[in-house]
Amino acid sequence: MSGKDPGELGIYGFRNRKDYSYDGMSIANSTAVKEDRVWDILSRAGKEVIVLAVPGTYPPTPVNGCMVGCFLTPSAQAPYTFPPALKPELESRFGPYLLDVEHFRSEEKGRILEQIYRMTEQHFAMADHLVTTRPWDFFMMVEMGTDRIHHAFWKFFDPTHRKYEKGNSFENAIRDYYRFVDQQIATLLTVLGDETVVLVVSDHGAKKMVGGICINEWLMQEGYLHLLKPVAGVTPISKAIIDWSKTLAWGEGGYYSRVFMNVRGREPQGVIPPGEYEAIRDQLKRELEAMLDERGQPLGTRAYKPQEIYRNVRGIPPDLVVLFGNLNWRSVGSLGLGTVHTFENDTGPDDANHSEHGILIMREPSNGGGRWLEGLHLLDMAPTILSRFDGLAIPADMQGKVIH
Amino acid sequence: MTKGSDVESRGFTIWFTGLPCSGKSSVSSLLYEQLRAQGLKVELLDGDVVRQNLTKGLGFSKEDRDENIRRIGFVCHLLSRNGAVAIAAAISPYREIREEVRGLIGRFVEIYAKCPLEICIQRDVKGMYKKALKGELSQFTGISDPYEEPLSPEVTIETDRETPEESAAKIIQRLEELGYLPPAHVPQQSYTPEEEAAIHDRLKQLGYL
Repeated sequence: MSGKDPGELGIYGFRNRKDYSYDGMSIANSTAVKEDRVWDILSRAGKEVIVLAVPGTYPPTPVNGCMVGCFLTPSAQAPYTFPPALKPELESRFGPYLLDVEHFRSEEKGRILEQIYRMTEQHFAMADHLVTTRPWDFFMMVEMGTDRIHHAFWKFFDPTHRKYEKGNSFENAIRDYYRFVDQQIATLLTVLGDETVVLVVSDHGAKKMVGGICINEWLMQEGYLHLLKPVAGVTPISKAIIDWSKTLAWGEGGYYSRVFMNVRGREPQGVIPPGEYEAIRDQLKRELEAMLDERGQPLGTRAYKPQEIYRNVRGIPPDLVVLFGNLNWRSVGSLGLGTVHTFENDTGPDDANHSEHGILIMREPSNGGGRWLEGLHLLDMAPTILSRFDGLAIPADMQGKVIH
Repeated sequence: MTKGSDVESRGFTIWFTGLPCSGKSSVSSLLYEQLRAQGLKVELLDGDVVRQNLTKGLGFSKEDRDENIRRIGFVCHLLSRNGAVAIAAAISPYREIREEVRGLIGRFVEIYAKCPLEICIQRDVKGMYKKALKGELSQFTGISDPYEEPLSPEVTIETDRETPEESAAKIIQRLEELGYLPPAHVPQQSYTPEEEAAIHDRLKQLGYL
């Protein structure tokens, strides 16, 4: 929503390195975002905004209008609204804020499904309340339920998923939920009226998860990572006792991996001489990209240097950003699984991974619609939104293009 | 909470008072910009500008000065009760009328632009002090007309010792203390260690880590 890429924002993941120490990571919330987002620009232009549950909005910041913080709100007790008086107003109507699905990694699928519905229902009810009780020029909400249901229920409908069971009772869980979300959106559309430009967008797609690559197991196997003491059982990398005097690189888990290198003069016990940094990084990139799957076939992994994919590289970037197997595989950060390829996640069941293509549906009153839009990028959102406000300049340093 | 009361509760008036050339206009315009940047609806009623329209024709007798302030106060009242931040920057030399306006508006923050007369005379932005000192202006505040300092302003800015930026920051801090503005841009501490641990666990469960 800033029209800036992760490098320009200096934010490379939910947990971001705040210094070059081995454990210096902090959660990147709104305080980490130093760039204007569309609601900041619109607020300054005197437009009234409503921002509901958009990631990166806790703690909420002052806007010309109101803001309800995102799922990085620590708890429903936290001050998650701007203005502060909005919180009791919402709670009196909708009860405690349902930030996210609790205890997500669980086989209690019935409970998870119910929580996803309750959360979505509450967020849309809040949306309806906000748009009908306040003046607004720009309204935005993010509903996380679609993401959560992919992760928790993909295996139940996809016959190609290795854990699919025919005739299971959740076979239609995702489809039914999508219908429910469609109905919620339809109800909101009737409140928004016909003259409103509406965008339905996802910030990433989803796909079946084939398995996980234990990045740190692989780095150990290839001689990049050394432990002082073998781990006992599955152990997060942060808890492993690493021999930094021999270690060249370590990696983080997630839907993609971030690999960090142990550089002399940069990390506390860095060993890679600065003069050899690029050569070792190139070698690591080549070897990661040559990784094979469990049957010895090429995995199709891509490793990127942040400098290659971002316009600027602020803060402390990873040395490599790695997408395993065309994102069919996630990155597992823990050690002790005893294998590079795993079909059990270190954090419990997860059926889906993020994929690169999301969706965009756009309704514009002045336009008949019914056209395919192609070549779109997430960075197009901010300029496209700003372009719909007459007389508002699109900041020159925003990436992305205006979608017509 | 209804829409009306929510909007109403946010408005207030920031009232600058001080000698001519005491820094009211420069600090108030800076404050105006900063509050606008926070996304607030702000209007600035500068004494010199207001005398060209709203209070055109009024002179500088005590009666006319009070009428000038009363009209500015009336507009500030309308703006404040409609959720806007009204900033008035006029000499407003008389304590009694300032108190009358305060009573009318309620949500009223008085800023005393304090500056020694000698410094104001040195600044003499429009050459008015010079004229007054020569005896060419009969009712010029500080020279040939009285100025009554506020007894308990919410904020005193000392414009001979502070930069306009420092004065504006001082006012914003006081507005936060008084509850007119939310504290800082964002809370200073983003998470306690317990909150960070809870979020870390949540992100881990969600698969982001």
